[in-house]
Amino acid sequence: MSGGASPKVRRLRPGGNAAPELEFWVVGISHHTAPVALRERMVFSADTIAAAAQRLVAGSPTLVEAVVLSTCNRVEIFAMAHRDADVAGTVVEFLGREHSMPPALLEQHRYFHRGRAAVRHLFRVASSLDSMMVGEPQILGQLKEQYRCASEDGIAKDRLRPCFERAFRVAKRVRSETGIASKAVSVSSAAVDLAQRIFEDLGDKTAMIVGAGKMSELAARHLQGHGIASVIVTNRSFDRAVEMARGFGGTPVPFERFTQYLHLADVVIGSVAATGHILGSAQMAEVMKARRRRPMFLIDLGVPRNFDPAINDLENVYLYNIDDLSRVADEHRAEREHEAIRAEEIVEEETERFWRSLHARDLTPTIVALRGRLDEIRRAELDRGLSALRRLEPEERRALEAMTTAIVNKILHAPMSMLKALANEEDTETAAEVAEMVHRLFALEQPTGPGGAVNPRLLREDESGG
Amino acid sequence: MSESTLLHASLLAYFCATLAAGIDLAQPGAVSRRVASWSMALGFLLQALAIAARSREIGTIAVSSFAEQAAFFTWLVAGIYLAVARRYRLAVLGAVVATIAFVGALMALVDHGGVRDLPPGLRSPWLPVHVGLAFLGNAAFAFACLVSGIYLWQERKLKSHSLDPRMRGLPSLETLDQANFRCLIWGFVLLTLSILSGVLWAELSFGRLWSWEPRTLWTTVIWSLYALLLHGRVTVGWGGRRAAALTIMGFLVLLVSFIGVNVLAPGRHAGSFG
Repeated sequence: MSGGASPKVRRLRPGGNAAPELEFWVVGISHHTAPVALRERMVFSADTIAAAAQRLVAGSPTLVEAVVLSTCNRVEIFAMAHRDADVAGTVVEFLGREHSMPPALLEQHRYFHRGRAAVRHLFRVASSLDSMMVGEPQILGQLKEQYRCASEDGIAKDRLRPCFERAFRVAKRVRSETGIASKAVSVSSAAVDLAQRIFEDLGDKTAMIVGAGKMSELAARHLQGHGIASVIVTNRSFDRAVEMARGFGGTPVPFERFTQYLHLADVVIGSVAATGHILGSAQMAEVMKARRRRPMFLIDLGVPRNFDPAINDLENVYLYNIDDLSRVADEHRAEREHEAIRAEEIVEEETERFWRSLHARDLTPTIVALRGRLDEIRRAELDRGLSALRRLEPEERRALEAMTTAIVNKILHAPMSMLKALANEEDTETAAEVAEMVHRLFALEQPTGPGGAVNPRLLREDESGG
Repeated sequence: MSESTLLHASLLAYFCATLAAGIDLAQPGAVSRRVASWSMALGFLLQALAIAARSREIGTIAVSSFAEQAAFFTWLVAGIYLAVARRYRLAVLGAVVATIAFVGALMALVDHGGVRDLPPGLRSPWLPVHVGLAFLGNAAFAFACLVSGIYLWQERKLKSHSLDPRMRGLPSLETLDQANFRCLIWGFVLLTLSILSGVLWAELSFGRLWSWEPRTLWTTVIWSLYALLLHGRVTVGWGGRRAAALTIMGFLVLLVSFIGVNVLAPGRHAGSFG
């Protein structure tokens, strides 16, 4: 970095006459701050969102790069924008314009974060910690998709890229190190979860629905969603069985003879309105013999019970009633909350690490500039001295060269160690001030360029709700 | 490097693996899991070199004492684990396998003796074939036993409707059952081949196909047990819980006979070759 003669030192404080500093921002409206009636009016459709994001960047001089995320639970704008600009206002105006809504209304529901808090927010969103259903897997895909669009359209570039790439990595880490995403919390999904504990692959399994009701249909839909191969339906009224079987692409069988087909089923869902058990233990033992004791999973959704509880004592038969399933779902919910705590810790740790890496990179220009400045002085003085001492032997020249270099290095040693230590310190304020002081003391030019996008001054946490 | 240095190093690696796998069991994490599997692999490799060094020293496969046999056996179990753990998501077995491997290597180190002379009748290229097959078969049975242990644990949890967070990441009952079956088949085939090679060897060197002594008697019993188990499985449907329980029982018999014959019984197959 050439030290130039200019004594003008760029001021880091707001109000200085330098180019505005950029900072990472997020402004949004989500299920935490707005009711569904408002949120549903804020949704960007898949084919309009890219154009809208481009309009946002094109129309706001303070906003340099942006990614717009829109789901049914949130609309959020992640942006690199001027630190001191009213980015929240800009975004609210933009949203109001796009959705024809009064900005004043949106103002009440919007929130924003900047700097470190915005990074943490992005990490939490990507890891599905900010979701309505914590741990739901869709949000990451949506975020990736929107980021991909924005970078293809050239509105998310070098400044947003590290944030998003890190966010995707953090999400992956959260997913692999915690059970946040692996636990089913509804009764139907708990049933699927259990089925997958017993059977590796539902793709070659058969489900039988005994009693065509709302609950059994929902459970069967879930199973089908997880790839169960075929469905057999039986019902007191055969017409209803035929109708439901058609819906599943399955086979209806008459209710009077359903036990004859039972051995074909790996998963059985019972929800018949009956006073007594429709399936006894002895009958079931026969069924198991017929299927050579291959495991069977019975789900009893009936109240009162459809299946004799003693069936659970048979070898390789697993019988769960509705209470068992809701207990499993409850346990999963509790466990998911527990896992969410660990996930939050991971996000916190990653935010800190990412923030530090930005910060550490930030003092590098100062270090480079300082070294360059001193070396420049050394070289200038050496050249002057050497031109006076023209009769020096090459070895003597080299000795002088080495000596002056050593002097510079000795002088630099302490400040360099301090700068390097500061780069890894938590106290970002001090780091920034020291950097500024060094620049002033040695009349260094303020480094600008792609690397200087995020300034140490921005390491201060800023948070605001709406 | 000398054999004892290699053994020490492998012990250290197994110790790390045990520790990391234990931590992973208590608090699953990508780092502990990776450390566990890499140090286990390292331990396996080092022990392989140690076994090779020892085998070269004594001129044949290093199973000349009970301790060496135990070490060879646990080394094979670790090998099977390394080969299949990832495919079958059986990392949960890491802590057990690492402990077993550690104990085996430790026995070899403690009992680390000089060169024991082989009885002349056993000095034959048949020995490594016969013994290698037998040990590999037994290691497969041991692994089947471990897999069955997990099966029974998970099965009990599912049956009693009390799920456990540790079940996360475990394979399903179906997969465990299949893994068990495959191990049994492998073990059975290897054991059969080992018996055949023994018979051939006996016929060629001693002029008789079979001699009744404690080891051959027990092997017959064990072979019949596993044959019965596999037969029941294939024809009558002894899958799932029953197969798992029988696998464990079969291995217990195997273990008792292995230790019993080595420690107590005379004969060609006795622990330190007489």
